[in-house]
Formats: sequence, C-alpha cells, structure tokens
Amino acid sequence: MKNILALNSITKFYGKIKALNNVSFEVPEGSVFGILGPNGSGKTTLLGIVTDVLKATSGTYSWFDEQPSEKQRRQLGTLLETPNFYHYLSGERNLKIAAAIKGKDPNDIQRVLELVRLTERKNSKFNTYSLGMKQRLAIASCLLGDPPVLVFDEPTNGLDPAGIAEIRQMIRQLSKNGKTIVLASHLLDEVEKVCTHVAILQKGQLITAGNVNEVLVNEELVELGASDLERLAGILKDLSGVKQVKHYENILQVFFNNGTLDLGSINQYCFEKGIVLNHLQLKKKSLESKFIELTNNASN
Amino acid sequence: MWQTLKIEWMKVKNYRTFWILLIITIVSIPAFNYSIYDFGNNSFPKVRGQSLFGSPFAFPDVWPMVTWVSSLLFIIPAILIITLTTNEFTYRTHRQNIIDGWSRKQFIYVKIFEVLLLSILTTLVVFLTCLFFGSVLNKAPDGVSIFKNIQYLFYYFVQMLSYSSIAFLLSMFIRRAGLSMGIFFIYMVMEQFIVALMRNKYHQDWVNYLPEEVNDKLIPSVFERLVTSPDAKKNWENHIPIFLGLAALYLIIYYVVTTWRFRKADL
Repeated sequence: MKNILALNSITKFYGKIKALNNVSFEVPEGSVFGILGPNGSGKTTLLGIVTDVLKATSGTYSWFDEQPSEKQRRQLGTLLETPNFYHYLSGERNLKIAAAIKGKDPNDIQRVLELVRLTERKNSKFNTYSLGMKQRLAIASCLLGDPPVLVFDEPTNGLDPAGIAEIRQMIRQLSKNGKTIVLASHLLDEVEKVCTHVAILQKGQLITAGNVNEVLVNEELVELGASDLERLAGILKDLSGVKQVKHYENILQVFFNNGTLDLGSINQYCFEKGIVLNHLQLKKKSLESKFIELTNNASN
Repeated sequence: MWQTLKIEWMKVKNYRTFWILLIITIVSIPAFNYSIYDFGNNSFPKVRGQSLFGSPFAFPDVWPMVTWVSSLLFIIPAILIITLTTNEFTYRTHRQNIIDGWSRKQFIYVKIFEVLLLSILTTLVVFLTCLFFGSVLNKAPDGVSIFKNIQYLFYYFVQMLSYSSIAFLLSMFIRRAGLSMGIFFIYMVMEQFIVALMRNKYHQDWVNYLPEEVNDKLIPSVFERLVTSPDAKKNWENHIPIFLGLAALYLIIYYVVTTWRFRKADL
C-alpha cells in the first residue's frame, strides 16, 4: 500500500521554542489517520508544515510519494485551524474562489453546499454566519471536487452535538468511499470513534504512531457483576490471563492480558465455581486513561 | 497569470469598498485638477478674459501641471492597495489560498501585478485629464505639438508605481490595515520633513536620493518650475536618468525583499 503522506524527521522551532521535535510517520492510503494530542502539542503546526503555510526548520515530507508542490495540495481538501473566507462575500462566492484555486468544477458547489446543509444560506455574506455555519462552509470547501485525501484540523470545533455527530458520520462515510483522512484532534473519543490509525503528539514529541488497535489497546477490560462481589473477586484472581481486579461502584473491572480474553470461558469458569454472573460486559480500556498514561510516561 | 488574475477579480468584483475606493481614485484626478484650475482661473488678474501668465493647463504646460497636481493624490491608490493586501491577512485567506493550491510565488506575483495595473490605470486617467484640460478647456497654442512634455506622464507612472509599491511593501510586512496606512502616511510626511531640513538648513544633497524624494524630483511643483533658472533646469534635466535609475533600483529592492520574505516565512 502506498503512503499518502510521509513525514521524515520534521523539526520546527518558533524562536527558541521547539514546537516539533524530529517527527516521522506515514499515513497509509485509505486510512483515517488521527493526530492526537493536547492543545499546544504541535498538531496544527504539523499540518501547517505539510500544507506549506509553515516552513519546517528541518526535515522533509512528501505527498503521494512525490516532492511536495501546489499541484498536490489541489488534491487535498484541507481545513486548517479556523475557516478562512472573505467576510464580505457570500458562502457561494467564497466557494467559487476556492474551486477556481483548486481547479475544480464550479458546478460541484451546489452539491457540497447541500451536503453541509448551507444551500438556504448560500447567498448570505460569510460574516453573518454562525460559528457552526462557518465551520460547515469550510468543510464544504474541503469536499469540492471530491478530493482523494481530506485533512481536517479539529473539524467539530464550534459545532453543536448534532453537528458533531453529522461530521463524524460524514467522515466514516468518506472513509468507506475509499478516501484517506488525516484528522487532528484533542478529543480522544473523536479519534477512538472514527480513526483506523493514530499518532500521539505531546509537546512536539511523537509518542507513538500506528494502527489504532495496536496503539491504544494492549490490555482488555471486562466488567463483571454478581450478588457476592467479594467471592467473585476471590475466584477471579486464579483465572489465567487476569492482570488486575478492581472494585468499581457495584461491579468489578477485570483487566486481562492482550489476547487472553474469552467471555464464554469466564462465564463458564464462574459458574463452575458456583457463582452466577448478573453482569458481563466487554470494555476496551478507555482511551482517555490510555492517553493520559501514554503522555505521562513520555513526560516522566 | 491570467487564471490567477481572474481569481483576484472574483475576490473584488462584489466588494463594495473596492469599488468605492476605485471610483474615488479615478474621479479624484480630474476633480482635483479642475478645482485647482478653477481656483487659478478666478484668482489671477485677467486681460480681456485671458489669464495674464497664460494658463498652466494649456499645452504644453498641462503635462507637468496635471501630473504634479495628480501626484498629490498618491494616498488614495495607496489606501486601495493597503486595503486589498491587508484583507488577505485579516481574513487569513493568504493561508487558505496557499492551502487550496496556489504557490506562494503565484500569490505574491499577482499582488505585484495588481499594483502595476493600478498605476497604469491612474496614468491613463491622468493622460485623459491632460487631453481634456489641454484641448477642451484651453485652446492649444498654434505650432506647439500637444505631445511636447509628454515625458511627464511617464514620470507620473514611475511615481505612482513607487508610492503604491511602498504601500504594498508596508502592508505585506505589517499586515494590518490601519497601522500600514498610518506608517505609510507618517513616512511620506517625515521624509519630506527630513529632506526640507537637511537640504535647506545643512545643504545636504544625499536627501535627494531617498525613496520618496527621488520620485518627487521627477515632477517639480508648479512653484519650483516658475522660479527655476535655465541653468538649474538644465541641471535637473541631466539628473533625470539618475532619478529614474534610482527609482527602478528601489522598486527592485522592494519586490525582491517582499517576495523573498513571503516565500520563506511562516504565513
């Protein structure tokens, strides 16, 4: 599989501040690639560099395995940081400019306006739009001409819950249609919900990158409940693969080593020991705790 | 370039401020000249309905006169340039244009081209104004070619291009409209002040070669032309190539610096 984007030792200084330190990773074709990190971790700087609005202090990058140039940027739909449009022009006229720069057919404008539900307001000036509408116009602009690659920096910024759900649904749909999506976010569940791959940044340092299932899950979690929790906890300690048993409200959280988990055999084991489970649920380790764990380890 | 220019046109064609400033730029040239003409016409003694000194708005004097009067309006096209340039920074569309697929070179070159176009436009308006004042409001004297002194039109073009380019340079570096206009205006006034002080009080000649003054020198004011001795006039004419050369050098410096910065910097 070819790489859509490859970063090779990208370092960026703002004066004395090191915003990115030797960051390298590859975005494979067809992936939904999350760049995850807290605010100020360098996500936007990274995307700014690969879209040529910022210059790396050192290091190189390539799009589609080629030397970067404006021709490749026209193959991307990019939303970086904030929606940038001419305030005095209508949404539609702004999209006409974007389509002309990208070299896309202006007839596609109606379709993308419809997709983000801005058709009714297409003739209103951009400065009369709400924050959510501005964001949706920016997403419409990204979708112009149906580009093979989309780059979204905090795409759900400023959207209401329904808008957030819509955008996530759209990202999944785009991914299903074979698009490659690069998605920067500080929202853990956003990445967890839509991404196939992830790179985690902290203070400009790449902590880890790879398949979401490999990076974010190296242990598995099951929630168990029974009338006698103490006895249940006692017998679970002897079950093979169990790493840790924790009391959590009125259930038990049981951590298993990766690959050792089998819900059926847990149930059978408990039953054979004379305990009837009234709750048995598989949970991955929450991304949030994983994320905090990863970033903490790196700072220690 | 044509495609890029078409996109620039899409940015401004529905922008009211652009049209207002453009119309003011165009209309102010004949209007301001007419008010000076009218003032002169009604303020000096006349003999049998004819001005005692001959009208400075008749051929061939109309060329240095109208170009000088029009050059006083340099601030108006400068405001237009500053507005259009700093808008891109205010709306952060300079980034978006690059993200969407322009090269940085494309962005900066088309802006420079616009400065050039605007200077050509004002020069054209000045040309038509000269023709109007020379032929319609005044009778052309017999035996004098109406194109005598037309070189002033070229000097005017160089002046406008230089002043507008300074305005452009400041907008590209300062990025904010109000501040750019303020600094542009203060610079243009300050340079005049320094030139007057150094030349008249300390007899320093180098001030003639400052960025604004070297352009000012191309078109002497109507007062200067009245009092200049033939020797001084000859001396001034000999210096014209130096002034033009230096004006060109300054232009090259502005554009090399602005382009270099825009291509290398974080946007």
